[in-house]
Formats: sequence, C-alpha cells, structure tokens
Amino acid sequence: MKYYIKLSLILLVFCAVASGILAYINTLTAPVIAERKAREAIATREALIPGATFSEAQTATGETYFIATKPDSDEILGYTFIAAEIGYSSTVQTMVGVDKDFKVLAIKVIDQAETPGLGANCTNDNFTSQFSGMTLEKLYVDKDGGAVVSLSGATITSRCIANSIRNRIQAVQADLATGGTQ
Amino acid sequence: MNSQDRLIVSPAPHVHDKTTVKNVMWNVVLALVPALLFATYYWGVRALLLSLTGAVAAVVCEALIQKLRKVPVTVHDGSAFLTGLLLAFNIHAGAPIWLPIVGAFFAIGVGKQVFGGLGNNPVNPALLGRAFLLASWPTQMTAGWVAAKDSAMSGINNLSRIATNLEQLSPKAYELVTSATPLKVAQTLRDSSFVADINAQAGGIDLGGRIFGSLTEMETLKSLFWGNIGGCIGEVSAFALLLGAAYLLYKNIIEWRIPLYYIGTVFVLTFIFGGIPGSGTSVMLPFFHIFSGGLMLGAFFMATDYTTTPITKRGRIIFGIGCGLLTVMIRFVGGYPEGVSYSILFMNVMTPLIDMMTLPKAFGKVKK
Amino acid sequence: MNFSKELTKGIIKDNPIFILVLGMCPTLAVTTSVINALGMGFAATFVLLCSNIIISMIKNITPPKIRIPVYIVVIASFVSIVDMVMAAYLPDLHKSLGLFIPLIVVNCIILGRAEAFASKNNVIMSIADAIGMGLGFTLSLTVIGIVRELLGAGTLLGIRMTPLTYDPMLIAILAPGAFITLGFLMALMNMLKEKK
Repeated sequence: MKYYIKLSLILLVFCAVASGILAYINTLTAPVIAERKAREAIATREALIPGATFSEAQTATGETYFIATKPDSDEILGYTFIAAEIGYSSTVQTMVGVDKDFKVLAIKVIDQAETPGLGANCTNDNFTSQFSGMTLEKLYVDKDGGAVVSLSGATITSRCIANSIRNRIQAVQADLATGGTQ
Repeated sequence: MNSQDRLIVSPAPHVHDKTTVKNVMWNVVLALVPALLFATYYWGVRALLLSLTGAVAAVVCEALIQKLRKVPVTVHDGSAFLTGLLLAFNIHAGAPIWLPIVGAFFAIGVGKQVFGGLGNNPVNPALLGRAFLLASWPTQMTAGWVAAKDSAMSGINNLSRIATNLEQLSPKAYELVTSATPLKVAQTLRDSSFVADINAQAGGIDLGGRIFGSLTEMETLKSLFWGNIGGCIGEVSAFALLLGAAYLLYKNIIEWRIPLYYIGTVFVLTFIFGGIPGSGTSVMLPFFHIFSGGLMLGAFFMATDYTTTPITKRGRIIFGIGCGLLTVMIRFVGGYPEGVSYSILFMNVMTPLIDMMTLPKAFGKVKK
Repeated sequence: MNFSKELTKGIIKDNPIFILVLGMCPTLAVTTSVINALGMGFAATFVLLCSNIIISMIKNITPPKIRIPVYIVVIASFVSIVDMVMAAYLPDLHKSLGLFIPLIVVNCIILGRAEAFASKNNVIMSIADAIGMGLGFTLSLTVIGIVRELLGAGTLLGIRMTPLTYDPMLIAILAPGAFITLGFLMALMNMLKEKK
C-alpha cells in the first residue's frame, strides 16, 4: 500500500513540475498570440476598406461587426464582418467588407480546411477578387443562377462562401434597418 | 499411343477444355466491339481514338513493366488490352487524349503489376484507373461532355412537353434539362429545395415533377436503350452491351449470377425507393435506372472479372446484391450521380471475405 | 556503441518511417507540401530531443511501474510548449499543421525512443539518438512532401516548378496519394537495401 502511495506522489511531483513550466510558458506566449490575432484582424479589415477607422457594433442577435467611418468624421464608408458556413470539409470563414449600400468591396478567406487542390483554392486572389462590386442578388454561384464563378471541382465550397456572405449581408442589413444598436 | 502413356497418374482436374486466358480475354474484347461501334457512330472517330489509345497504352505499360520485372512478357494474352479498353470506356468522348494514357499506366502499374500481374490484383484495374483519374483530374473527367449525335445529353428531347411556354424554363431549369447525363438530372431532382426553386420560378407549375416524368417516358427510355444520350464512351448503349453480354453468356465465358442479381437488386430497390420528394414515383423508373449510367457495362463486363469476384455460387449472389445495394445508395443519397464503379471496387475488396464466408463445407467434416 | 553511429542510424539503417514504419499518422496526414513536412519534422525532432534528454536524466529516479505515464507527461509538456510557441511566432505553419501538433504526443517514434533507448542510455547517447531519429523522420517526411507537392500541386515550397500546361495530379495531395507515395518510396528503399 505504502508503495503505491509513493508511486502516486512521484507521479504527482512530475505533473506538478510540468504544469508549472507550462503555465509559465503560457503566460509568455498568450499575450503574443492574442496580440497577433488582433493585429491580423485589424490588418485584414484595413485591407478590405482602406483608410477607415473601425468601431465595433453588434446585431440584435449578438453577432459582432465593424462599422467603417472616415477618420475624424461620422460619414459611414461601409461595414466589415465575418461570414462563416460549413463547406465541404470544414467551416469556411470569410471576412467581408461592404460599402454603405452593401455592395461588396472585397473579401478575404481567413480560415478553411477544404480539400487541397480543389476547395482550398478558395483563398486564391483570382477567386476572391471576383466578389468585388457584387450586390446581394448576384451573390449566388453560377450554377444557382448568380454571378459567382465556381472553383472547378469545388462547387460546394464556392456555394458555401457565396451563401454565407449573402446571409450575413442580409442579417446586418436587416439589423440596421430596424435601428440596430448603434 | 504408347501403352505406358495410358497409365499416367495425374492430379485432378482431368477434364480439359480449350479455355485459355488468351481465348477468354480476346472474346471479351470482341463482345465489347458493338459498344465501341455505337460510340464511334454517336461521337465520331474521337471515341474510337480514345478507346484504342487507352488499350494500346495499357499494353505498352504492361510490356515495359514485365521487362523491368524480368518476367515473361504476356501482353499477347489480351488482358492488358482489355483493361485499357474498359478504362477508356469509362471516360467521356470529350476528354483530352492523355487522360486514358495516364489512366492506363496507373491501372496496369499500380492496379495490377505491383501486386504481381494477372490473377493477383485485388481490385479491377480498369475501375481503379477510373477512380484514380476521377480523384486526380475531376475537371477533365466531368467537364466538357460531348453531346451524342442527334439527341439531348440528358435524354430529354421533348422540351415542349415540359413547358408549353419555353420562357417558363428559368436558366436554372434549362441547365438542368440539358445536364451532361440523365443520371445527373435525376441526382439534381433529389434536392427538394432546388425543385421548389425551379417550380417557383416557373410560376408555380410542377416543373420538377414534369422533368422527372419525362425521364421515364418511352421516348427517353428508347434513347437510353440505344445509347443516344450523354455518357462515357462505353456505357451509353444498353443494346450494344446486352448484345456483347449475350455472346459471352452463350460462350460460357461469364456467369449469369452476378449480373442478374446486380441488375435485379438495382431494379427492385429503385422501384421501392425511387421518385423525387413530393412528386411521387413511376413504375417506369426501374427501367430508367438499369439502362442509364454504367450499370450494364459494370454488371456484365467488370463485376464478372474472374480474379476479383467470389468463386462460390452463393458468394456471387452476395456480390451481385452488394453491388446493387451500393449503386442505388450512391445514386440516391451519395454525392455522385453514378455509383457503379465505386460499388464494384468496394465489393472487390470484400471478395476474399465473401469467399471465406461461403466456402462449402468439406465432405465429411463435422461442424464444431 | 559510439556517438556517430547512433547519430546516423536513423537516416537509413533504422529509418523510422521507411524501415521501422513508425509515426504513420503525421506521415500520411501532413506531407501534402514540403513546408508542412519540414515543419512537422522539426517540431517532432524538437520534442524528441527534449524528451530524450529529460527521460535519460530521470531514468534512475522513475519507478519502472509508472514509467509510461511519466514519459507521456514529459512528452506532452514539450508538445504543449511547441504548440504555444508556434502559435505565437509561426502562426501560418501552426495553422496548416493544425490538429497534428497536439498529436505529436502519440507519435510512436517519440514514446518508442523514450522506452527503447533514452530510458537505458546516458544523456549524450540519447541526444545522438534523438537527433538521428529526428533527422531521419524529417528527411523522410520531406521526401514524401516533395513528391506529393510536385505531383499534386506542381510546386515546391510554394514556387511553381512545372509548366503552366501541367494539370496537377490532385490525388497526390489527397489521402490515397499519401499511401501510394509511401508505398513506392518504401519499395525503393527496400530495393536499394537489397542491392547492397
């Protein structure tokens, strides 16, 4: 019996030491990770709507989006938000920038794990750049009668991106129409 | 005859037959000639060219590998030629010419020679080649279908019967009725939100139901039977394939169990589960399903491959039913419009297990 | 037993992937590109090196009955460190290796070397073993990565290597491509071995 208690104590010491070291390293890296993520988000937003200042807002359902205004004035330039929907093998997250009339300015796929060589091509510029200038009714893939040219061999991924953007635009638009939380 | 020769003792089997590998393989090739002729009629010389390219590439590949392996070169037995031909039959006539070449090299190299050549391959090399091509170049394999000579690829010729006023056909619905293959139309119609959408765009008429109905009309079935539709080179003409199959059955080269149970299962299951959501089914639907896609080609020419199918009678019945079940499952709930190739490949892998399960009890053995 | 022999055995003679067939999960999953292969290789090598050192140091104070849990604690700690440091300083690589970083914990090469080597040898030899095995692992992953990326995407390290007319053979970067490439490379290794 005593032997087993001794074993447990030794294991406990090992775990305690390991936890201590991990906790220390976590305190070192956590702020770096958080800061990097924040910086990435800001950089993406600024790439979508250049030269604007952003302020955070929330829809009635509690989803975050950003209002882009001209620096030093209240004139609204547009909005940015993250659209996400399940694609072929992962949730595809896209950051979308729209102008004040909800015409797409630019989009950037920020997170996806679709099939390499097919759906994963959705991060390429020649796919994302076609979204610029699109209005709500065009945001369907070509197979569904819209203007979004699907990636070859990856209709599901393309459709998921087009649909997610459309749905989020509608959600934000509806929210603003009802007064929102500005 | 020397009197001593009459007293030779040898192990069974004692009955000899003229059947040789060479004989069997070239006879199967001969049985595929009608399908090849039909394809050439519908799509022109290009179909013939693609098929022969695949066959020749397979022969060249087999010869090269056998030279490398320092084993006797046996390409004259026709098995490589047959593999290459069947592979090319699984490609559509608009495909680039390098596609059957690369596919044949993979089929023979990885599908057959890696395992030790003829008789040692676990799955049908031609189907493996097709699966490889589909995974590697999905665009080339599924885009650029060429219409057959004088019919719509989808098999639906009578657009006027679907919509009296052609303007009712929204772009979406128009694209549907001109899809690459009849099975593609059937697959798209499974999507109830899609059907609701085109119905709404047509002003509330049951367009989905009408398109579905026209799939099982006599005229469409006729096109399916003769092969006047979109599809892969070798699979379109049920008539030509049945002709070849009849020859093989007559010559006793293939056995009837697998094709019968395979096609029968598809027939029964599509009868029970067919139809589109909300628009009912049709008694003609099973005919649509057995004549469309690669079922005839698969059932008679690929699911009857000696090496990769069970040797017991009961095993063959299980094999056929399994293939039919998987094919219908893929057609009805899978992501692809057609499932013949994958279901045969899957059952090929199950074959050793089926053989083990259905092994007849040895005479006199007591069950434990 | 000498240092240089322990250092080089992992590269050909006892190559962890092609000869010992260990650590198949990362081998099949992350070799879709050269950069992923290198990243996974170095991350695993780092964990292997650190865990070999620590385990070799503590071998005399670990009771044999609980040695496996102790090894796992040590290995898991280093994996977590790699995970956090990578997320902080190499976010792109961290994103593409994703789930497979935490899975280094169960990479059999690392536990295998801890059990088979580090727990029986001194620190210096364990370092040699870890570096050798790690290099062998990294090299093998990279070779698979080169083949798969070149065939499946037409690029190396993201730089286009093939003419634009080359249509990448997508299967090479899908799961079956990993098995096929691994099989052919193993066959090649065996052929070279037999010729010797």
